[in-house]
Amino acid sequence: MKKLMLALASIALIATAVNAEEVKAPATEVAAPATAGEATKVKMKIKAKEKDGLVKAKVAISHDMLTYDQAKKKGKEANFITHITATVGDKVVYDASTSQFLSKNPLIKFQFAGKKGDELKITYTQLKGETFFATKKIK
Amino acid sequence: MKKMMLSLVAVAAMTASLSATDYRAEKPDAWTAKDVPSAIKALYGEITPAEGDIKLKAPKVASNGGAIPVSVKTDIPAKSIAIFQDANPEATVIVFTVPEGTKADFSLKIKMKKSGSITAVVEGKDGKFYETKLSLEVALGGCEG
Repeated sequence: MKKLMLALASIALIATAVNAEEVKAPATEVAAPATAGEATKVKMKIKAKEKDGLVKAKVAISHDMLTYDQAKKKGKEANFITHITATVGDKVVYDASTSQFLSKNPLIKFQFAGKKGDELKITYTQLKGETFFATKKIK
Repeated sequence: MKKMMLSLVAVAAMTASLSATDYRAEKPDAWTAKDVPSAIKALYGEITPAEGDIKLKAPKVASNGGAIPVSVKTDIPAKSIAIFQDANPEATVIVFTVPEGTKADFSLKIKMKKSGSITAVVEGKDGKFYETKLSLEVALGGCEG
């Protein structure tokens, strides 16, 4: 049964990959560091509640989000989040490429189909490429 | 045959977690574009967005330019949604990929240096683009740290 599920899943996924534009290839390279286990676990305030199959998520990430201008004034290096992804298992439920213009300690909200007990994982990448993540079980 | 299936699964698994699109890597010019039209062009190409049913919300007057609550919501089957503004040195704020099984309903907090307008562009699954714009005043500039 499991093999059949895997086979079906892989066919579905390949179908998705085939339908996508050529941009898929570069995406593979970029995300590789995260899957290679280099991500650092950090604390994030994650709220994820499911009702009628819909999960509402609210995530507060601690991050200075230093813009180039702010960094210059402070004599520091600019550092801000450039990508935020939320996954449940292998499924991507939120995906955003971000700029220096998100607020300090960004607060994001999003919704997706899911169920209680599943684990929501939030991963973010910052300017230099380091990745960080946190997880929370959906209530 | 089994080996091929296994490797296909492996590739597929990789692809699944990467149905994420890194717009920063894919469209670098979109992130350095200084004005909204250039940013839209760098991101989506030469497009003529139509007026769409997109609910873009932000306070009329933002008391703190460093943390302006913005929400964007649409029932248009969307592939991606991008938010731009014309008050900062660069125009692009964020680009969402709308994954399967999720609602195009996002909230976030952004910085704006001064009063201006926010533009949301929705890339529909039908290949068409839709946009909506919102003006807001910023009481205290948001990039002062």
